[in-house]
Amino acid sequence: MPRKRSLYLPSSSRRLGSTRRRFLQGSAAAIAGVTLSNCRQNLSNQAAPEADPAATTPEEGGASGGDSGVLHVYTWADYTSDEMVNAFTEKTGIEVIVDIYDSNETMLAKMQAGGGDAYSIIYPSDYMVQQMIELNMLTKIDKERVTGLENIFDKWQDPVYDPGNSFSTPFAWGTTGLLYNTDILTDTPTDWDYLWENSSALSKRMTLLNDVRETMGMVLKSLGYSYNSTNPAEIEEAYERLIEIKPDLASFMSFGYEDGLLSGDLAVVMAYSVDALSSIAEDDTLNYVIPESGSSVWTDTLVIPTTAPNVDAAYEWLNFNLDPAIAQLNTETLFNATPNKVAYENLSDEFKNDEKLFPPEDLLAKCEGIAPVGDAAAVFDEFWTRATSA
Amino acid sequence: MSASLSKSRLQGLGTTIRHRCQQLLGPLALLGPAGIWLLLFLVLPTLLILDISLVPDLRPEDVGGAYGLGNYSRVFNPFDPRFDSVYLQVIWRSVYYATVSTIACLVLGFPVAYWLAIMAPRRWRNFLVVAFILPLWTSSLLRSYAWISILRPTGLLNTFITWLSDLIPGVDLPTQNWLYSSAAVFVGLTYNFLPYMVLILYASLEKLDISLLEAAADLGANPRQTFWKVTVPQTLPGIAAGCLLVFITSMGDFVVPTLLGGASSMTISRLIYNQFLGITRNWGLGSALSMILILAVSLAIALLLKYGDRDSVKEA
Repeated sequence: MPRKRSLYLPSSSRRLGSTRRRFLQGSAAAIAGVTLSNCRQNLSNQAAPEADPAATTPEEGGASGGDSGVLHVYTWADYTSDEMVNAFTEKTGIEVIVDIYDSNETMLAKMQAGGGDAYSIIYPSDYMVQQMIELNMLTKIDKERVTGLENIFDKWQDPVYDPGNSFSTPFAWGTTGLLYNTDILTDTPTDWDYLWENSSALSKRMTLLNDVRETMGMVLKSLGYSYNSTNPAEIEEAYERLIEIKPDLASFMSFGYEDGLLSGDLAVVMAYSVDALSSIAEDDTLNYVIPESGSSVWTDTLVIPTTAPNVDAAYEWLNFNLDPAIAQLNTETLFNATPNKVAYENLSDEFKNDEKLFPPEDLLAKCEGIAPVGDAAAVFDEFWTRATSA
Repeated sequence: MSASLSKSRLQGLGTTIRHRCQQLLGPLALLGPAGIWLLLFLVLPTLLILDISLVPDLRPEDVGGAYGLGNYSRVFNPFDPRFDSVYLQVIWRSVYYATVSTIACLVLGFPVAYWLAIMAPRRWRNFLVVAFILPLWTSSLLRSYAWISILRPTGLLNTFITWLSDLIPGVDLPTQNWLYSSAAVFVGLTYNFLPYMVLILYASLEKLDISLLEAAADLGANPRQTFWKVTVPQTLPGIAAGCLLVFITSMGDFVVPTLLGGASSMTISRLIYNQFLGITRNWGLGSALSMILILAVSLAIALLLKYGDRDSVKEA
């Protein structure tokens, strides 16, 4: 019998913190996205940075972000902590204003629509960095103004998404896997196939990420294909397999599942490691597993958009986050794996040996990074629309 | 003599012109700000959406592109090689959700409005009406989220049903599992838009001439006949207005299907969202779908103006 825990019982009040906030913020961000102004003028303005490199000068940006003492940061929910922001303000005298987004695509749309002119720092994931470079949206990083890049693991010194870290610095990495309630699942899921094998027993108690590339990619992986398949036949096969378990899915959701998971309304959800690990830290009846056939491994980065109004402050932020002490603090408080070698070595063994946070090399070797798929994006979207409409 | 006459005529003409100007100036000053507002923030953006919708598969980074009807033909034209019936299915589902919740609002709202307008004590009436619209003071996002905690399997409703089952021996009431299904969308939409329906019906029923009901009774009509032959025909414009308003708002609602609908409740508003913020970033198709929604809603508003009770809408 699942424990009865929900909104109106006081026992859950200690959890009202980050998850609820993230859910509401995420929903609000999602809804704000709908009201995006789609001005044709803005569409053509996007070509401007290409033609006019002067657009990168600090004077260019939005009035609200033009103040030299203010840095506007656009990031994921729970990617900054008060402790870290206060330390930055104390060190540099720069005030930080943090806004959040719930998906790379939302962020890209806002930046392209001209709604993100105030931001000097953004946190895109690997494949989005590549896409934004192709769209000429990122400022090339002046390596002379950056210190501490040598502390980054070799793996991230020359990443595929941004060779030589010319436009981005790696901030954190993680995986995607299954988060489940150990009180409900008697056995331990080990692979993605678990969802198909137990779909009738767990009917309406499973969720998958509301993210085309992650969810379709997971199904592709479970079929033995690549996350980045561009073969329409393979994508269609993945779609067929996805709709097999669709009647048993509660929903496609990227956030807001934690309350349901703890109350027993949900048994197993697909989650990003950073969210899963912070949930486990709050309640140890939850557990997280990286499927043994491999999952996606993602890197979130720091970039400076070409529209950045406060480039100087942006460099301060880059250097601050490359500081091993800060990187270590971020891993300890925000549960993202650090790509910073010095910070990693300074972590306590408890963190270093946590295979959910730092998976063993042989498992990582089976994981894949998500990369842009070019024109196949339309195929992904077509099958995704069908999967979510059927 | 004639000079003074023409002078007075001129004076008269001058006053007329001045009078005419004043007559024009008044409405202009009153309508100007709202007119400019509507022009800048409604008409122009809609024209921009129309413009973008006419460029097949326009993405935000594209600078212009050839005009064509590709986006629309993809949705409607079965002979187009890129035609996908999924879009029509989604539009159909939106219409279906809106229709069911409109009917539910009418069935639930009419008795309430009838009671408020005709049977409730007069001095309590305003208080009751205010009490009824009180839920509208909180954000619809929060109200939808509240429904999640009511409808989820271990939520408030099931806890209550289980408690009730335990209370009555021998009766085993079935628990519900509505969250993330169409049922939850119906509940959410009906709950959200019921106050609008009640207000409009109330305004319409309040004007009902009670003496006509008395006359019908005097002439031998039973209550049922009086209701169907006197009350309903007189409030028909109000019913039409309420239904169309609820239909229009639930057709375009984004929050309820997104939060309560789960894996299978793609509606046109969610589809539009996906076109702008999904991986394809197909703003052309998204704009075309927006135009389809705007046209459907405009059609409903045109019907509302023609057949609806405009006074009740205004009063509401």
